[in-house]
Amino acid sequence: MGAHDTSTTTQIERTGTRALAVRSSALVARGLRDLARDSNWLIKKVFTGRSQHLAISPVGQVCAISEHVHHGTAQVALYDIELSVPTMTLAPPGGEVSHSPDAGVVFSWSPNARYLAGASGAWPAGLHLFDLQGKLYLGTIGASDLSATNLAWSDSGDFFAATSRGKRAALRVWEPRGGPPGGDAARELATPDWLEPQQAGEEFAEEGSFGGYGKAIFSPNEEALASVIEIKGEWADDSIMVADVTKLSRRKVFEARGHVTDLTWTPDSEQIIYCAAGQAYRLEPQSVNSEPLPFGAELCVCHPHLPLCVCFSSWLKNSAKGRLFLMDLSRSTAFDEYPAEGVADLKWSADGSRAYAVTRDGMAYIYEPPLI
Amino acid sequence: MALKSPEVVAIKPEERELARKVLEQTTLETELTERELRTANLRAELGAFERRYLHFVGARYAELDELKARIAEQLATEQPDNDRAQQAARDARARANETKSAAGERAETAPRAFEASPEMKRLYRTVAKRIHPDLTSDREDRAKRQQLMSMANEAYEFGDEMQLARILTEYEHSPEAVQGEGPGVELVRVIRRISQMRSRLAEMEAELQELLRSDLFQLKSRLDEAHEFGRDVLQEMVAKVDEQIEQAQERLKKPKTSGEQRFS
Repeated sequence: MGAHDTSTTTQIERTGTRALAVRSSALVARGLRDLARDSNWLIKKVFTGRSQHLAISPVGQVCAISEHVHHGTAQVALYDIELSVPTMTLAPPGGEVSHSPDAGVVFSWSPNARYLAGASGAWPAGLHLFDLQGKLYLGTIGASDLSATNLAWSDSGDFFAATSRGKRAALRVWEPRGGPPGGDAARELATPDWLEPQQAGEEFAEEGSFGGYGKAIFSPNEEALASVIEIKGEWADDSIMVADVTKLSRRKVFEARGHVTDLTWTPDSEQIIYCAAGQAYRLEPQSVNSEPLPFGAELCVCHPHLPLCVCFSSWLKNSAKGRLFLMDLSRSTAFDEYPAEGVADLKWSADGSRAYAVTRDGMAYIYEPPLI
Repeated sequence: MALKSPEVVAIKPEERELARKVLEQTTLETELTERELRTANLRAELGAFERRYLHFVGARYAELDELKARIAEQLATEQPDNDRAQQAARDARARANETKSAAGERAETAPRAFEASPEMKRLYRTVAKRIHPDLTSDREDRAKRQQLMSMANEAYEFGDEMQLARILTEYEHSPEAVQGEGPGVELVRVIRRISQMRSRLAEMEAELQELLRSDLFQLKSRLDEAHEFGRDVLQEMVAKVDEQIEQAQERLKKPKTSGEQRFS
């Protein structure tokens, strides 16, 4: 036979499928992304259900209370905002669940998003710490009954602060120096002794008395810490205290108009933008001068290195809806506004290339400035 | 004259089996050729679309990212003590380099959309039927066919009819084109070919699915859909990026400006 088949004992080698070589995959994905937006804001659904409390990380993740309960303990779900996918669920090890009505839900991400600190009334009491990189539960920090109302990390991760309200109201500062905070706070400021006697309050707090410490935030140069001094009563005015970080000694106190819902330092650490009773203000801590800005806002976060602030107002002129917008701090003008409702947290990415806003029902608004 | 009894032709079992297998092989050959053509078409369409996209939009993204990097570097210069501004400038420069590399060099002439003529398709079918690697069971012949098939796919993608014809001629004149004889060996050969063709069909299905799932296909589909409604989305994308480029150029002309001007 003249057949030239000589490979009867050898398997014929198969070659791989010739797949499309897309050298431009990132540019194609960018084009798809740009097609999906009609402004500098991109809208995505990140999670289903509702979460009253959530926190956005500097690398575009969000943690929210999950609807799932594991061994009787509520879980926190982490999501990637850009990809709109869940990435992890967390819960501290089981224990006696706190039922204190004052123990609210609060979370805070470290600047590199490696650590997440949090507390919840549905969790065992205390301030819990997770190492997300090592997928480890690190335990609780501070006193076991510490019920934090707000948590803050400094930009470099060198300092960490927790504030609380009520009878044991205090402002506590740790010095984790880039690692996880642990043990008791390095410094603590309890009820301010410099408050007017009628404000200091008694055991059963009355209208106009000291309610505790609200949001706290470190200045970008990490020399100062601004914190809201909450005063009880619907029509009471909160104060903003600026303290020295290393000593926790009071530098200045400024009385705001109404309850302060948010505050943020400008990138040069010279000014504070804050929102009180739905109005945005600019405060110069050195001179204690404050001026209202021509915008309504309840949430605000300054850009890491530009004179810009992303804001959320729950009220939009001629509409029941709210809006997100950018504030130019040099000219006190607003631009790139976008209708949005129920925003619970705002955050700039660490490099300032994006701003994230997430609503309680899981909608994410990603602001991508065209020139950054 | 005595009548001759009719000659009884005895068909051997292997010959009967061979005839059956040859029929199966012929059917599979046609299916393989059609699938190969379909995949080649899609690959070629996406390849051409990718080149057009990079030429019109990718090159502009590269230009925009270059301007953004310069803006970030300018801001970093204005704020020498701001570590974040310095880092942002470095990140922006890295991003600009990455985009430039992905966009590649811009061709002098605009790439055209892929469109195969009926003649081209006919020629491709002939070439595929003749030189497809899965139609041989000889190791050396197969290697040669793989190389030629790859060249044929490329020629088809770029609409090079002459090259396709040359590939066919080259193979027809090669010694590997000589067929072996004998039903037993031929049966083994045919069975192997059938097996190879079935594997190749499965591979092609996987490749097709991969192409259909790709971002490139998604983007092309969006543009094609819009095109049916009279919209040139590629042009709209170009206009959008051009607007951003213009803003970035304006921004670079101004020495120091407000946050908004720096930003949008």
